Amino acid sequence: MDVKVNGSSHMLDDAAKDQPAVGLLRDTLGLTGTKLVCGAGVCGACTVQVDGTPMVSCLLPCAAVAGRAVTTVEGLGGSHPVQRAFAAHDALQCGYCTPGFVVAAAAFVDRWRVEHGENAEPPARAVIADALAGHLCRCGAYGSIYAAVAAACTGAHDEDGQTGPPRVEAMAKITGSARYTTDVRLDGQLDGVIVRSTKAHAVVRAVTVPDAGTTTVDLLPDDRTVRYVGRPIAAVAAPTLAAAREAAAKVVVEYQELPAVLDAAVARRPDGPLVYGSRAARRAAPASAEGLVMPARWHGNVRGPSAMGWRGGTAARRIEQARRRGDERLVSARYTTAVQVHTPLEPHACVARWSGPDLHIWVSSQAVGMVVEAASARWKLPPERVHVVAEHVGGGFGAKVKPTVELVAAVELARAAGAPVRVVLDRAEELTDAGNRPGTEVELNLLADDDGRLAALTMDVYGDGGVSTGSSVAALARLIYGNAPRRLRDFDVVTNLPPGTPFRGPGGPPMAWALEQAIDELAQRLGDDPIALRRRWDGNAKRRALYDWAAALPVWAQRPPPGSQTGRFRRGVGVAAANWLYLVDPGTEVELTVEDGVVVARTGTQDMGTGIRSVISGVVRADLGLPPDRVRVEVGRTGTVHGPASGGSRTTTSVAPAARDAARRLRAALTSGGTGGAGGSIVGLLDGSAADGVRAVGRRPRDRRGYFTPFSMGGVRIGRGFSGAVHVTEVEVDTRLGRIRATRVWGGIAAGHIYSERLARSQCEGSIVQGIGFALYEQRHVDPATGIVLTDNLEDYRIPGIGDTPEIEIHFHRDGWDHVTGGGVGLGEVATLSVAASVGNAVHAATGWRPLDLPIRPDRLLAGLAGVAR
Amino acid sequence: MNLDDVTALLSANGAEPRGGGTDLTARQRIGRATGPFIDLGGVRELHGIRWLADGSARIGAMTTVAALATDPTLRAAYPGLTGTAAGLATPQIRAAGTLGGNLLQRNRCWYYRNPLFACFQTGGHGCPARAGAHLYATVIDQGPCVAPHPSSIAMGLLAYGAQVMINGRGGARSMPVADLYGDGSDPTRDHLLAPAEVLTAVELPAPTPGERAAYHRAIARAEAEWPLVEAVARLVLDGGTITTAAVAVGGVARTPLRLPEVEDALVGREATAATLQTAAAAAMKRCAPLPQTGYKVALLRDTVVEVLERAADGRRPD
Repeated sequence: MDVKVNGSSHMLDDAAKDQPAVGLLRDTLGLTGTKLVCGAGVCGACTVQVDGTPMVSCLLPCAAVAGRAVTTVEGLGGSHPVQRAFAAHDALQCGYCTPGFVVAAAAFVDRWRVEHGENAEPPARAVIADALAGHLCRCGAYGSIYAAVAAACTGAHDEDGQTGPPRVEAMAKITGSARYTTDVRLDGQLDGVIVRSTKAHAVVRAVTVPDAGTTTVDLLPDDRTVRYVGRPIAAVAAPTLAAAREAAAKVVVEYQELPAVLDAAVARRPDGPLVYGSRAARRAAPASAEGLVMPARWHGNVRGPSAMGWRGGTAARRIEQARRRGDERLVSARYTTAVQVHTPLEPHACVARWSGPDLHIWVSSQAVGMVVEAASARWKLPPERVHVVAEHVGGGFGAKVKPTVELVAAVELARAAGAPVRVVLDRAEELTDAGNRPGTEVELNLLADDDGRLAALTMDVYGDGGVSTGSSVAALARLIYGNAPRRLRDFDVVTNLPPGTPFRGPGGPPMAWALEQAIDELAQRLGDDPIALRRRWDGNAKRRALYDWAAALPVWAQRPPPGSQTGRFRRGVGVAAANWLYLVDPGTEVELTVEDGVVVARTGTQDMGTGIRSVISGVVRADLGLPPDRVRVEVGRTGTVHGPASGGSRTTTSVAPAARDAARRLRAALTSGGTGGAGGSIVGLLDGSAADGVRAVGRRPRDRRGYFTPFSMGGVRIGRGFSGAVHVTEVEVDTRLGRIRATRVWGGIAAGHIYSERLARSQCEGSIVQGIGFALYEQRHVDPATGIVLTDNLEDYRIPGIGDTPEIEIHFHRDGWDHVTGGGVGLGEVATLSVAASVGNAVHAATGWRPLDLPIRPDRLLAGLAGVAR
Repeated sequence: MNLDDVTALLSANGAEPRGGGTDLTARQRIGRATGPFIDLGGVRELHGIRWLADGSARIGAMTTVAALATDPTLRAAYPGLTGTAAGLATPQIRAAGTLGGNLLQRNRCWYYRNPLFACFQTGGHGCPARAGAHLYATVIDQGPCVAPHPSSIAMGLLAYGAQVMINGRGGARSMPVADLYGDGSDPTRDHLLAPAEVLTAVELPAPTPGERAAYHRAIARAEAEWPLVEAVARLVLDGGTITTAAVAVGGVARTPLRLPEVEDALVGREATAATLQTAAAAAMKRCAPLPQTGYKVALLRDTVVEVLERAADGRRPD
């Protein structure tokens, strides 16, 4: 059997004929640009051209490529017009899906130009969506992908552009040369596989590994109890993944089963089985929250309330009185949100190698610094002996902040085997036990007074985070709409299901789903414009500016009156707002060193597609007046100065001012060294022999007026002020067949100075795409009898595709952050919080039916419409 | 390799035939297919589209779904079928997947596709979906298994009265496509082909002059999703009167289904909105929803209305 790959012929062993071609490409030929993500032909990350036709190599047996010509992303070479277009339009973020998109888009563009001429009109959006329907991008770069593909079809990218791409590492990701953790392959490396619980609740009596020679490590907690299906028990390693899987399948686990509780409603009953039977067990529960989990009392499986609020008694009394008098200015409703799974396209992955006293770790992480801390504590190593690399990270969204099981498994297997070990979660593991946004049930009461002011608010929120605790949803309602009385209570309801973990704006989307729809409802009852009412309630100057912007949008001014539409397809426009904390890592530093005439910037942060490489490069270049090729940024690597974790929207606002400070110090060092006058260009100085090795470290200067929290907790301080967002969303509802389409979305973001406009826009667009997924499609389903996650694949766990992407416009309001060094704060979280609520309000405006439960699936919409019709 | 060689190999070692391998490789990954596999790509008899003198078409089983969807002559003659093929899966899957593979693929039930479960389909006893999570399951009860049949093309072929050609140890035979699936009462299988048999081709009768067709797939997202409900309609109109009707549906039962009760309510009547609505509503009588599939009752009716309206309009199928 022979196959031609990128022009070279390879003879294949006949035994390989049944293996998927993706393995041949990645493992045998080392062509790691082709990514394996879903293994089910859904996401297209493994797409290659076979005789010029895009096919998914994960479902293509090698037998099917025998005698044919395969072209991978590496085979496109980097000069295909669509590759230039992807770079120019920033049609990527984390880059993990990018090779697949590029390979398919290249075939599409080539065919389009053959059929329509070299400089043809661009194809319509729907045509591009059809061609790329077999691809998923979790970052949500679809808007720029449309633009890139359309431009490439017109011949606009047949030549190299005059300027570099807005994302500095774009070409590495577009050509497949960017190396992610899953692509790391060391000499003698073994593969590790995790053995997981098949029981929802049990004590593990024994774990037997039949082959004595199998490298095995224990992953059970101290009480030897497994509390959900999928809970890691042990890990085994073998020379190949197939052998490791075989060894894992042979491991015999002896369980003593305990009664399990698999449903939050059952867990709330006083007589239900207990997830945690002792105080020690409750203490060891994993946290779904960021930062500290507030102490709270337990009642059976219910923990809480942890209460926030302001004059909570007054709020409850006012609402009770309003209820008794039948006040129609009281909105009371129960909202629910589904469990949403992060599912970054690069799964959790780690490669570990011990080398004498040193531990080398390659890991797909949002926080290389935290990996050092965790590893040095767990394996009792001095921090400088732990070397962590996360050069490119294929998405995280919060799931890769805290060190997780693949790290422990890889490091301990590597130690036990005396060889490097790689552990990569498969998609089923990733969708089962790699974190999620807990589901919620929200009981809300909202009351306006005679003058239409906010009189009282109560929210009781029951977080459905499986075995984890720390739900913090209601508490966020303390931070918006002034100081009217409010009682805000958060409860955790624990069950024998996998734990939650922080997910982009933890607690924010469920809070907004309830509160922002209730406000919409109240505005309607008061006969008020929903934007005007919010503007009145909301004292925040930055959000007021966003309300003014939103109110002036033609789509808002000309929107059909709610409930006015009667045809099959009904259009509606909805609005929702959000705010978010400003977090900063004040200890952030950036190190600049001149190496061979290039300024190399380093800091211990990482880029998971959010773009910090480009921000640092931009700041340093602007400050020193350098062209792109004179600055190189190396992040995702320890052994340099302290940089922030990429979580809590803290990275850019922490790093950029430190980079600027470093640039100023480097300029001073270069100009004082006698190699040139202060007036000379820095480029000229860099070429001088005296410049080489000149180094400067910049720190993030303190904010004027300091910070809200008096000291750092977990490397982070809460700064002064709130970022803001207002989303205006237009939907079209097919009342016959139950499909909701978000057609256009406007996102207004108040985060001050924008360091990299193009990349910031990409992130805000992606936030909207994820918000639409949360609103319309995403839901983890679990078997009610066993607790096994059924949506453990990307066919059943439904994330938005390119055809589900609305036309998006992003507006930045840049004022109001003068007290912050650099003048700008993070936006990755605030940009997604209010999206789902704006979809809900738009659906209500279109149909008169108020969706209370997420996601708004076709069956729910159709049932709701039938109810309205009655 | 020719067909007889394939039959001999399949009989000898209990192998599974492989077309494009898209479904089979996915099942291999989760341990639901273990081989050995016999590749059909080299079998010449399985390739090609032939037109016979009587206007009928014979489509080889190894014809890719993409070829089926885009062949200009097929599109002109059987737009309901080619529209169905164009609407399923993704461009990459259509490029690799074959007609035969689509007809003989296994179901998409998330219990069947999860190696932690056993059910009728995997040699176990019982259907965990029936008492469990079954939002996407059947609404027409044909037997113990509640996984909707996954083949959209089978539904399209039903609407066109196609025959499937089978080759086995006893030689070649043909049967109506409906017989490939039976009545859905056997919960252990997704088709009734014997282990050593190969589906070689599909024969489509000549189209009726002047007929119009439409296909629709009701899904939540824009693309690339298994249907909640799908339907094909073929209508021949004489002036405003419907003279011939064929309606088939998928996503609702263990097998793809023709709906003669809907067809009977159409033929001989004016193609008014009321006629189409009333006829489509006849399909609801078959429904016996599970606790979570009640929504499919009205959705079945309305998807049928959708294809009837579009076929009556004469618009080309999407």
